[in-house]
Amino acid sequence: MRYGPSVLMRGVVGLVTASFLIAQANAATLLREATIGEPPPLDVMLTTADVASVIGRHIFETLYALDSTYTPRPMLAENDRTEDGGRTIVIELREGVLFHTGKEMTAKDVVASMTRWGSFGARGKLLMAAATSVEATGKYEVTLKLSAPNGAWKALIADVNGGLAIYPEDIATKAGNRPIEQKDYIGTGPYKFVEWRPNRYVEVEKFDGYKPLKEKGDGFAGARLASFDKIRFIPVPDVGTRVSGVQAGDYDYAEMISGDLYESLSKDPSVQVQRTNAPIFGLFFMNSKQGILKDNYKLRRAIQTALDKSQALRVAFGPKDLWNAEGSIFPNGTPWYSTDGASNYSAHDPKKAKELAKEADYTGAPIRLLVSTNYQAHYDEASVFTRQLADAGINVQMMVVDWATLLKMRGQPEQWDIFVTHHSFAPDPLLLTFLNASYPGWWDSPEIGSLRAELINTTDPAARKSTWDKIQSLIYEQVPVMKVGDAYTYDIASPKLKGLNPNGPVFWNVSTK
Amino acid sequence: MWSYAFKRAGTTAVTLLAASIIIFAFIHIVPGDPIYVLLGDTATPDQIDALRHQLGLDQPIILQYLTWAGHVLEGDLGRSIFFQAPVLSVIADGAETSTLLATMTMIWVAVIGVPIGMIAAVRHGTWLDQGLSGGAMLMASIPTFWVGLYLILIFAAWLGWFPSSGYPSIFEGGVVNLRYLVLPSLALAAPNAALILRLTRASMLDVSREDYVRTARAKGIRPWQVVRRHIWRNALLAVVSAFGFTFAALLSEAVVTETVFALPGIGRLVVQSILRRDYPVIQGVILVIVVVYLLINLIVDLSYRLLDPRVELQ
Repeated sequence: MRYGPSVLMRGVVGLVTASFLIAQANAATLLREATIGEPPPLDVMLTTADVASVIGRHIFETLYALDSTYTPRPMLAENDRTEDGGRTIVIELREGVLFHTGKEMTAKDVVASMTRWGSFGARGKLLMAAATSVEATGKYEVTLKLSAPNGAWKALIADVNGGLAIYPEDIATKAGNRPIEQKDYIGTGPYKFVEWRPNRYVEVEKFDGYKPLKEKGDGFAGARLASFDKIRFIPVPDVGTRVSGVQAGDYDYAEMISGDLYESLSKDPSVQVQRTNAPIFGLFFMNSKQGILKDNYKLRRAIQTALDKSQALRVAFGPKDLWNAEGSIFPNGTPWYSTDGASNYSAHDPKKAKELAKEADYTGAPIRLLVSTNYQAHYDEASVFTRQLADAGINVQMMVVDWATLLKMRGQPEQWDIFVTHHSFAPDPLLLTFLNASYPGWWDSPEIGSLRAELINTTDPAARKSTWDKIQSLIYEQVPVMKVGDAYTYDIASPKLKGLNPNGPVFWNVSTK
Repeated sequence: MWSYAFKRAGTTAVTLLAASIIIFAFIHIVPGDPIYVLLGDTATPDQIDALRHQLGLDQPIILQYLTWAGHVLEGDLGRSIFFQAPVLSVIADGAETSTLLATMTMIWVAVIGVPIGMIAAVRHGTWLDQGLSGGAMLMASIPTFWVGLYLILIFAAWLGWFPSSGYPSIFEGGVVNLRYLVLPSLALAAPNAALILRLTRASMLDVSREDYVRTARAKGIRPWQVVRRHIWRNALLAVVSAFGFTFAALLSEAVVTETVFALPGIGRLVVQSILRRDYPVIQGVILVIVVVYLLINLIVDLSYRLLDPRVELQ
């Protein structure tokens, strides 16, 4: 008994040392990423939530993947050919690709995934609405037949976000429109799903059966080499905590840091700043179906003319490095960059706006602007614009609700005249939500109807670009949406990480120095 | 005592029934819909309707309530739409964090708030009392998130003494994981300890003005014995009920602290589920919180009797 306390003390010291050593051993192979919040189910085909895509990209793969210039490159596909003027697409698959269950991926899995994506996938209709059949025409060959050619088909199946992720045949067939269950999170990616602890983390681990492509990693395309044994995606909702967590060494990477911290973090040696090269952009949707703005292009142009977009961007995003008052829908440096119509982007001419409003017979009736406070930038932009529009005699009434309410209300055309959202970077115009006539806003004028058909059915890239120029011109004329400007989000990482990807947070090809 | 307990159980059941109806009605009256949040930006009306039907959200609200209530009586709180897991296990996971956090906070509150409150009362009117009361007022006024962020900055980012955020379960990493809760419990304890301090001080001063205290002093009993036997014990009633409700509130309302420290607790679970309209989780958690409040209320009432034999339970 006399030795009790000292034995106890030794035990405690031993325990603490052991847990320290275990922690050290884990640290060598575990990457901890602080995400902005808890994801929805990781059925990436159904959801377009970025927080699900970031995790899902490690687990699921697509037939093509976007390289650093956002050009689709083969991923699970080996090569492809089109026949019948673009109406028949034949895709040869890579052989020897394994699912996390160990089973080989074949054409049957791709057909089942494509069928489910066409019926229930968030972006499935963009391609599959025109599909007349999709068949396995060989063990490793899939043939898709369309009623009309689609010039963007490869871009439409080159990302997991609401996209054609390849699931095993039985899972895709049985799931229908319900999100797939956690036990069915089976993909072909370099990491496989391990567990999801609510509000603690989602964990994935290295898939030993993964065979990377021979081409060097470029953007999301090429070889995907997993150097961490495990990755934990940890929801850390407070931005201050995400920053302190990386500084303290509790996280290796933290997403979506606020603009006010950009300058100080850029000089901080305990973190490295990673600015994305794919800007998001704020969008103000006009109601084309009902209300005061329906077909009232003059009043819409009056609203557009009154605004100074730079002011809103400065308020919403802070330092100049993080935003760009760019009128082209696609940023400079991408194949879709266009200046057509962009001179009307940010005129800030209240006098001319007043004249246009008068010509549109506007007499001061309230214009209802639906906005959510869940995204601070949306609210900041709306507040600045409401003030600027008041200067031009345009009476905007902000309706401030939470995001879930906004998502429901915007589907009801009688509830609003303008609503605020943002759009992620899109590799092809067909992925822009406002070109979809069934998306709230419901832009479906005869002019856009024919240009949209032209954009879909043309396969020559130069011809498609010229159609896009005409569409951008039309956007500034009919104003179905107003682009606020490009915002470059940024993440921070431990200085020990190398090989970070500016296309978005993915952790293959990332290792420690 | 037993008949009292039975009566209380009866009223508890009625309260629970009423609470379950109110919770259900309010959650479904709020606009918004989990399907929109789940499917995201580009879902078509057909996809939305199909999934709503799959999840049974297109049924009449009364039918939805009866189905849910029936399952609850069988001990099944349903499945979370977003976590794809049984609500009970989601709550149990959050409850571990919240209970440990609340307990640690209450220990700080008891260790800091009560003795300092006693000292302030005994030294009533002196500079010491003024200083302590003023300090308490300051602590009660500073927002918890601010205290939390500074605790993280100083003790995690600069000094590295404690982890900045998160909480791995003690069932996985052992009791050493309690170190994750030190900073959040301190942040939460600051305002609560200040309130308990002021309450202890005030109720001790109230009691010290009673006739029996004057009599005790007149009898020549030593001052610290007057404080211990006559003032402190009688002043304890108010403090104990405050403890009960503070604890209950900490279990469910520590949302700001849980958010700042990224803790997987109940408060954050509720708010997050409300924002995403994860109906089964909101309903389940609020029902559990109501049960916890009712239980703590009962325990506090019963403890009055133990502390003060004059209290009759009816």
